[in-house]
Amino acid sequence: MKKILLFTVLLISAISFAQENSFFSVGFESNSQYYLDDEKTGDFLFPERFRSNNYLKVDYGINDFYFGVQLESYEPMALLNYSPGFNKTNLGLYFAGYKTEKLDITLGHFYEQFGNGLILRSWEDRQIGINNALRGARVKYSPTDFIHFTGLYGKQRIGFGVSDGDIYGFNSNINLTSFLKSENSTLNVGFSYVGRSQEKEPSNFEYNKLTNLFSSRLEFSKNNFYVNTEMVSKSKDAVILVNQIKNAKKGNAFLVNFGYSEKGLGIDATFRRMENMNIYSEREASGNVFNEAIVNYLPALTKQHDYLLTNIYVYQAQPQVSFQDPSLIKSGEIGGQIDVFYKIKKGTFLGGKYGTKLAVNTSFWYGLKGENDFQNFDFDNEFLGFGEKYFSDVSLEIRKKWNKSWNSIFYFVNQSYNKRYIEETNGKINANIVVAESTYRMGNGKSLRFEAQHLSTDDDKKNWVGATVEFNITPRLGVYVNDIYNYGNDVASKQIHYYNVGGSYSVGAHRFAVNYGRQRGGLVCVGGVCRFVPESTGISANIIMSF
Amino acid sequence: MRKFLTVICVIISSSIYSQKTIPNVNLKTLDGKSVNIEDEVSKDKITVLSFWATWCVPCINELDIISEVYEDWQDETEVEIIAISIDDARTQKRVKPLINGKDWDYKILIDKNQELKRALNISVIPHVIILKGSEILYRHTGYAPGAENELYKKIKEFSK
Repeated sequence: MKKILLFTVLLISAISFAQENSFFSVGFESNSQYYLDDEKTGDFLFPERFRSNNYLKVDYGINDFYFGVQLESYEPMALLNYSPGFNKTNLGLYFAGYKTEKLDITLGHFYEQFGNGLILRSWEDRQIGINNALRGARVKYSPTDFIHFTGLYGKQRIGFGVSDGDIYGFNSNINLTSFLKSENSTLNVGFSYVGRSQEKEPSNFEYNKLTNLFSSRLEFSKNNFYVNTEMVSKSKDAVILVNQIKNAKKGNAFLVNFGYSEKGLGIDATFRRMENMNIYSEREASGNVFNEAIVNYLPALTKQHDYLLTNIYVYQAQPQVSFQDPSLIKSGEIGGQIDVFYKIKKGTFLGGKYGTKLAVNTSFWYGLKGENDFQNFDFDNEFLGFGEKYFSDVSLEIRKKWNKSWNSIFYFVNQSYNKRYIEETNGKINANIVVAESTYRMGNGKSLRFEAQHLSTDDDKKNWVGATVEFNITPRLGVYVNDIYNYGNDVASKQIHYYNVGGSYSVGAHRFAVNYGRQRGGLVCVGGVCRFVPESTGISANIIMSF
Repeated sequence: MRKFLTVICVIISSSIYSQKTIPNVNLKTLDGKSVNIEDEVSKDKITVLSFWATWCVPCINELDIISEVYEDWQDETEVEIIAISIDDARTQKRVKPLINGKDWDYKILIDKNQELKRALNISVIPHVIILKGSEILYRHTGYAPGAENELYKKIKEFSK
């Protein structure tokens, strides 16, 4: 607590000297919940019914210097299923830096990403309880405007502490566009290195204390066409299964993305293959449910859906090694996705007066194909072999404006979800989901939005139906009610309504929201990283303020 | 907890009296070039920074609806809208085809690992910021139909 007070005093005194070239920004976020017993889903069986996560962040800059702190308070306890490391009130982040056109030096906590994040990304996501900021030092240097270097060292944040292992990183980005001598082309190349150093545990397997990851990248575009690639290799490291070192293996990843876009049309395709690509700043954190100590970012490359029923069967990337039983062996994934965006022109038959916007996405993911040796926890995969199918998703979105007051969105999704492989339990699900939503603008800032959804499947929990009504009394003040109902469940007592009712008020950069309802248990995913939340019922309040 | 609240109160009240500017942060253009936000903002005209992402439905609703009247806004106030995508590596590839598919005319910049978003302490999007030079005049979080009219009212007020 002394640390916190000291920082506050320092900040206030800095601010009181605030002058012309200064920058000052404050953000406050509070997410609280009061958990209730529920006659359908059961009583609340954990300590502390009232729980609250609070974040206060202050950023200050003067001339070429910048400073920041983040104070976090989880009192009396953090929300359900957050890491126990988020406990009580403490200083979560602090940093100071110096930045000019060519040089940027940061001491303390910082977030960083190299390339696509395949070998390094530190970031914060409060919704899913991730904060893997690095604590150490970082130097960014740009000798010219087309060459950028970054060098860093740090330990990763875990709860209010830091990781046992050390992280070293180097990144370079070089923009070669001016050498192309072509007006409509661009070319960027990049090379990165990340090292994770941690003392070894005694084992029969040969690997080094220092694990090395290398990445090389190329981005090229000409006229309306573009292509980006990234290739990654990871040196031999311990493969940990159920807290035991079972083998030592190398890893690798390959990503290629290309597309074409012009006014009214965009096409984008991505292919990615990953093998044994998990890396943690502490080896023993391997596969932890709180997503702590993750060094790199390996999101599921699928469409991020926006509706309740389209988010029941959410794919999570499968970069890790897992040997559950001889029929359930994983060592990576291979697959891709394609997006098409198209605007049907105004004045045509299908376009109507305002035009019609279409978006199509398809993604498909498979396990790697190769030879597996269950006894020795060993594998040898083909480069372009497709193994067991894990997931596929095909969606079509149509956005249509009918007239000044009405517009609609229609959404169709077909999902195939291999629960046995993704969640390491049992079953396969094939589901079709339809969603229709319309917004009616009544003038004077009043608007009404309603949404109907249906999920049909013969598998798992069977059919669901859902609806939302949202009424904006003014653009600032809105109320909503929604419900999803698992009416098809074979077990009558599990045919449950997950209803929510709430409202929000925003004024300027501040927003206040309250909600009462029953939350479906399952994965809450943000940006392709998921956290498991148990079923719960309660009242929640969220406050967001920016100054 | 009580100390935490005290700290909040002191900091917030001291912040109210200070002038707000945008921080010195680098962003990427769609071609992968690194640019400084301060250089991208017009020195004497009104600029609107609109933070959005490909997966954020209200953000896209807001930018879609403004794109229909953007020309009129520009004729009347010379305002420039910069749409800053906070998409991460998962969805960033979708930015370029999406904006072309949508036929938007905004300047697009990418806040690759959300550095600017964090420095401005933006928790949720959509979030719009009205600037004159590098001075912040107004901020707003969230979008509901009709909010674009309030935004335009502010733009007109500040451009006088």
